[in-house]
Amino acid sequence: MDLQNQQRVKEIAEKYGPENVVVVLGSSDAEGASIYAETVTAGDPTFAGPLAGVPLGLAVYHIFDPIFKEKVDPNLWEEQLGMMEMVLDVDGLVNAVAEMRKEHSKYVL
Amino acid sequence: MAFEGKKFILLGERDGIPGPVMEEVLKSLGCEVAFAVTECFV
Repeated sequence: MDLQNQQRVKEIAEKYGPENVVVVLGSSDAEGASIYAETVTAGDPTFAGPLAGVPLGLAVYHIFDPIFKEKVDPNLWEEQLGMMEMVLDVDGLVNAVAEMRKEHSKYVL
Repeated sequence: MAFEGKKFILLGERDGIPGPVMEEVLKSLGCEVAFAVTECFV
């Protein structure tokens, strides 16, 4: 994850309290989604950024997670996300983030 | 609802779902967005 964005995530978690912060990912591949999810829960796995060694344990989800889809107006969902839902591996993305969440998140929605 | 009082950080991706798209979808649920960004890998 971009180092500046790591810093923003850290600042927001400190400002509002990690229990009140939820991270939503729009990653296109499961591997990338997993690394992002790891970064905001267990800390930066590359040890390069501000979140290195900082296990925030944030609640993290992929935007395709059913927790959102089941609540969003179906027309809006189709209009905004329908196309990408067809071309991306929805289950692979949701599961990659869910695995990291189960392992490292201290908070969930 | 479950999202009330939460601050959302949206980490979008240019080749996936960009930040503004996620923001529009989640704001329709009343989610409070603290930070939204779109990263790109070149």
